[in-house]
Amino acid sequence: MTELVQTIVLGLLIGGVYALAASGLTLIFGVMNVINVAHGAFLILAAYVTFAVWTRTGIDPLVFALATTPAMFALGWLVYKLLVSRIAGAPASMSVLLTFAFALVIEGILGLVYKGVFRAMTPSYFDESFHLGGLFFPKAQVYAAALAVGLLVLLYLVLTRTWLGRAIRASAQNPSGARLVGVDPGAVAALTFALGIATTGAAGSAIGVLYPFFPAAHYAWISRLLGIIVLGGMGSLPGALVGAMLLGVAETTTSTYFSVRWATAVPYVLILVVLLLRPHGLFGERVREDVVTA
Amino acid sequence: MSPRPVRVAGAVGIGAAAAALAVYPLLSHNAYHQNVLLLAFLLAVMASSWNIISGYAGYVSLGHSVFLGIGAYAVAITGEHLTVSPFWLTPVGAVAAALSALVLGAVIMRTRGHSFVIITIAFLFLMQLVALNWSSLTGGSGGATLPLPRWSLDWVYTPFYYALLVLLALSMLLSWWIRRTKFGTGLIAIREDENKAAAIGITTPVYKVLAFVASAVLIGAAGGIYGYFLNFFEPRGMFNILTSVEIVLAVLLGGRATIWGPVLGAFALQGIKEATNVYLGGSEAHLVVFGVLMGLVVLFMPRGVLPTVSGWVERRQTAGVAVPSIEVRARPAPASLEARAATNGHGGGRRALLEVKGARKSFGGISAVDGCSLSVQEGTITALIGPNGSGKTTLFNLIDGTMRADAGEIWFDGRQIDGQRPWVRAHAGIGRTFQITRLFHQMTVLENVVAPLRSFSWRQLAADAVSGPEAARAEELLDFVGMGKFGGVRAAALSYGQQKLVELAQVLMLDSKLIMLDEPAGGINPTLIEHMAEMIRELNRQGKTFLIVEHNMPLVLGLCDPVLVLARGSCICSGTPSEVQADPRVLDAYLGEDFRLEQPAGVP
Repeated sequence: MTELVQTIVLGLLIGGVYALAASGLTLIFGVMNVINVAHGAFLILAAYVTFAVWTRTGIDPLVFALATTPAMFALGWLVYKLLVSRIAGAPASMSVLLTFAFALVIEGILGLVYKGVFRAMTPSYFDESFHLGGLFFPKAQVYAAALAVGLLVLLYLVLTRTWLGRAIRASAQNPSGARLVGVDPGAVAALTFALGIATTGAAGSAIGVLYPFFPAAHYAWISRLLGIIVLGGMGSLPGALVGAMLLGVAETTTSTYFSVRWATAVPYVLILVVLLLRPHGLFGERVREDVVTA
Repeated sequence: MSPRPVRVAGAVGIGAAAAALAVYPLLSHNAYHQNVLLLAFLLAVMASSWNIISGYAGYVSLGHSVFLGIGAYAVAITGEHLTVSPFWLTPVGAVAAALSALVLGAVIMRTRGHSFVIITIAFLFLMQLVALNWSSLTGGSGGATLPLPRWSLDWVYTPFYYALLVLLALSMLLSWWIRRTKFGTGLIAIREDENKAAAIGITTPVYKVLAFVASAVLIGAAGGIYGYFLNFFEPRGMFNILTSVEIVLAVLLGGRATIWGPVLGAFALQGIKEATNVYLGGSEAHLVVFGVLMGLVVLFMPRGVLPTVSGWVERRQTAGVAVPSIEVRARPAPASLEARAATNGHGGGRRALLEVKGARKSFGGISAVDGCSLSVQEGTITALIGPNGSGKTTLFNLIDGTMRADAGEIWFDGRQIDGQRPWVRAHAGIGRTFQITRLFHQMTVLENVVAPLRSFSWRQLAADAVSGPEAARAEELLDFVGMGKFGGVRAAALSYGQQKLVELAQVLMLDSKLIMLDEPAGGINPTLIEHMAEMIRELNRQGKTFLIVEHNMPLVLGLCDPVLVLARGSCICSGTPSEVQADPRVLDAYLGEDFRLEQPAGVP
């Protein structure tokens, strides 16, 4: 029983970090119908940047997340302005190819700089845990989850309490309607993309502490994140949160009760099963396909 | 079509290149060159195959290298128990890939767009994991081995070279053959507009699954040969996403949906790869080069080199050519239509050809169609009018099967059809046009008109895309609508009114009993409207039944009888034009309740 509770607790803790990264991916898809396949590569990039700073200065990776987040925001804005905006309105498959191309470039550059070896960040607390009622809570996971939850709350406040947030949600629901009431879709899209990529900053710094990483690790991460948002319903923020928790728990239970080797298969199986049985996911909306938008 | 000298020169060039590739290993034993060339053949086989599902049918697969892995492992696993040369096992690889594509395709072809892309990637990685973890079967990360070749070292790569060259020829033949059959045009119709394809009788799931299988089978065969060539391989190398990237990139470079594009792209990419190896070294540099190349192609030349170049040529050739004009004059409906109408005719006694009983359809909280019941009598030109948002187009969608009703029944020609898919309804005799025309823009007018299918048969899939009698019929119909001179024009080049006429000819090709027209007069000029009305009358005289949604009241009142009025998703009244005009409920529906308040005082 304790083992089960422990497994679930660990799943939920890691789910918090998944949720942060997945929220950016689902936000970008929901607003601009772009599947950012480079999301995993941005995560790994943030992890390497954090790693570079940590090895040189010793700044705690989770504290440095406060710096990677705005840095990734800026990078996201640039990438949108320079690349993604050029294919606005093209079929979703084109955006997949373009962001895939970007992921390859990031992977290649990281490989050239750092080689394809595993890296890991080990701050002083990385192998320590809190203990409570027979359960253990690894400190790194607790801090990372707290950081993720804090940033998710911030993201939620931006989306619900600010003009930008309302503009983003308006653009997601009805782009032409949003344009009519004075929302500049290009600017909103750029900021949304930037906001979405910003989530990979903190999440990447945290992941660098929780998991070993190497340049090609972004494939596993994008698969995991796609699994989450497919499960939750593509474009749905609450869906990304619930999907992340479910995936976290599914992974930890698979490794505890079945096999660690097969835990990595969970996201792929999840993607296949969900898209086949319930293509709109848990929280996704069925869209009306017949209405032609000019 | 290119001019004749260009085609002859092209054929000679291609023949010379093919001959040179065929004799090359006999003239030179340079192992490195043979190695590079055979890898180019392999990539070309994969690119050419991928082009069938992703170029023709428009379903982009990013995990297509999975079939290479499946083929290689199938050959390695069966080869363990047999002592024959792995070359004889190539068909095993092909069959394994085809079967897995069949199973996967049967389920994933229900998804569209982004879901499809994601699933193909997920499937690739899942297979990689299965191959890694199921080590009792595959050897896991330790890898799989095939026997060493027994031939002389002088010929080290030559047998692989020829095996892959043969496969390349086969894959190009397959691609070329598909493109000129009904199957191929059906795939292009699906790429251009899948719902429309279903509405004109194309059995879309069968087409898509077959295309998926066709795109996998030769990659599976190549996997067997490639595995033998490598002698030793492991899951990460065989089920490699980068191989998928190379496939996609090769086709994007050369030109999607062309026969030569994928092959030229593959050779170019293989050259770029070798150059990167020599000058930049290492797989990381590959990634950067591939990434940059893919980004550039997507951003600046999304159609690829060949289509872009042939676009220039086409523009230069058509510049200055006089644009034909529509011929607006009355003519009798083509005889082929009369024949079918006569067999359909049931003499004088009228009966309901179409009956809708209590149909409901809601989108979220909005009931677009709310308990609608109506019937269309055989031989009539029935109008369906109603204010905007009253549910007319949604009702059309329910009748032709583009959407499923939440509740209610639809009967056509004595059969209940509400559970049937769109193409089944099209085969049963329902044809429709769309409010905003939906022609297949990349096809010519003639190809558009011959695209509809009146039934499904396996033999028909392999039939020529445009056969003689069919083309004659299509030209007859184009003449009838006044577009006879436009057969060779690309649909995208037509004006809106011209598109409406071609769409009508397209529906006539289906030879439906019931023709549903969604705003036939919308957005076209008065002369053309009169032409349209005249054609509808003429077709009706030949026995066609019409259901027409239209906002042009003079046209409706002059052409149609009876008139059905739809408001808030249900049919509120029906009758002759004059009855409907006099009905207060109709005024109410169009003008709202306020209307009565403005009536002169004293009137109750």
